[in-house]
Amino acid sequence: MSRIIVVTSGKGGVGKTTTTANLGMALAQRGCKVAVIDADFGLRNLDLLLGLENRIVYTAVDVLSGQCRLEQALVKDKRQPNLVLLPAAQNRTKESVTPEQMKKLVGALTQAFQYILIDCPAGIEGGFQNAIAAAREALIVTTPEVSAVRDADRVVGLLEANGVKTIRLVINRIRPTMVQANDMMSVEDVQEILAIPLIGIVPDDEKVIVSTNKGEPLVLSETPSLAGTAFDNIARRLEGEKIEFLDLNVANDSFFSKLRKVLTKKVF
Amino acid sequence: MTDSSSSIPIVSGTEPARDQQVRFKSEGGKLLILLPPEDEGDGVNTAAVLTWNELWQQLKQRLDASDRFWQPETTVHLIARDRLLDARQLQQLADALLEVQLYLKRVYTSRRQTAVAAATAGYSVEQQSPVAHLNQPGAEAGQALDAPLYIETTLRSGAEIRHNGTVVVFGDVNPGSEVIAAGDILIWGRLRGVAHAGAKGNSRCVILALQFEPTQIRIADFVARAPETPPAPYTPEVAYVSPKGTICIARAADFRRVQQQDNRIS
Repeated sequence: MSRIIVVTSGKGGVGKTTTTANLGMALAQRGCKVAVIDADFGLRNLDLLLGLENRIVYTAVDVLSGQCRLEQALVKDKRQPNLVLLPAAQNRTKESVTPEQMKKLVGALTQAFQYILIDCPAGIEGGFQNAIAAAREALIVTTPEVSAVRDADRVVGLLEANGVKTIRLVINRIRPTMVQANDMMSVEDVQEILAIPLIGIVPDDEKVIVSTNKGEPLVLSETPSLAGTAFDNIARRLEGEKIEFLDLNVANDSFFSKLRKVLTKKVF
Repeated sequence: MTDSSSSIPIVSGTEPARDQQVRFKSEGGKLLILLPPEDEGDGVNTAAVLTWNELWQQLKQRLDASDRFWQPETTVHLIARDRLLDARQLQQLADALLEVQLYLKRVYTSRRQTAVAAATAGYSVEQQSPVAHLNQPGAEAGQALDAPLYIETTLRSGAEIRHNGTVVVFGDVNPGSEVIAAGDILIWGRLRGVAHAGAKGNSRCVILALQFEPTQIRIADFVARAPETPPAPYTPEVAYVSPKGTICIARAADFRRVQQQDNRIS
């Protein structure tokens, strides 16, 4: 039974595509057959993050219109043979696909792949409806900001109403120093509102920007980064392994910061 | 402060609110599901009319929120009013009901196409004349309140519960969501969204929550915000309208006593 997971957030720019690319790659590295689907028709990015832009010949729309077979549209990753990308059409809009067509596409993919990750567009309109139509599980990506959390909360409600019941939370771009200084929402603050199980905490990392621009997912990097490790851990948790969350405070947990933490805790 | 002409009109309780909610009612051992009308009288304001998708989400949310309160094997009558439903949508509805062991048996509608679709699908159909809306809002002034609505769910951003009676939420009311009740609002959880009790003008209604951090609370025509600095330990609290005409908050444990004092003063 293959797992169909939609990566969604509501708000834009919180790291859906980055998460999809890294998780897809990490799962493929662990030996799973993975298909990542870009459901962001008209504003596709997933191909860029995977560095596969120049290999796209056909897109999902071409498959649906019968101009090519599904296998022809799947782009094999250049580094990882277990990973394929089903690209979105860039010259079309979200309305060019219906939820039923999405289900058909994903249904065809389930025959050959263990994991199908769907990169959802921002928003809750047609594109979102398409992306979640076939999903059985969801990963909610949010950043520790009120706006992102509010949108994530709305999306959780919509997913539940659409019958997606397995929903897990990825908190992205957290900055431990800011959290310690009480300038940023903590993991607990976010969880208190969203009340869904946590599957990963990804620290804010400049290397993400570099990897995005190069089209090299972080999990591929030779020198391990904190964010890359965090994504790899999420992939392992998806696989059912029990792994402790990264202790992000270790690097700068001096006596004084500990003291300050105790003091500020009391105030709140 | 300012003259009345410049003040912002606040949702008035007496004005007939647009009844864009799926409603559940039990009557004589049956469950009635009332869909909001498609054509709100004028038929011009399309923004106020729910699409099938929105309606579907509301319905699923309500079914999920209270599924342990249905007696299994309950018969459902769908009151579709003037809403156009095709065979696919009816099937979708019946399937969702079946998941919680509710059986759709009868469809009331004023649209011929809906009647035909329902009859083809094997439901008994009652076609009504378009004017005979059940529970037309604002028809008479003094309406008795509906039975309390009990929902067990987290109300997430975007969710809106409207009920012509008291609402009990067993769960959190998150920011961005709204509870609007003609009666009291009792929240067994955190209140962080908007709560409007006594929405039809009854200022004696109260709002109770285990943890009060509302975006805004309204009782009848009165509005209040939460203080900028929240109180340190949260305790269960009650919001009510004091005889002075302001919304006050009291600790739930002291509420009865405070109210009696207020009554003595006034």
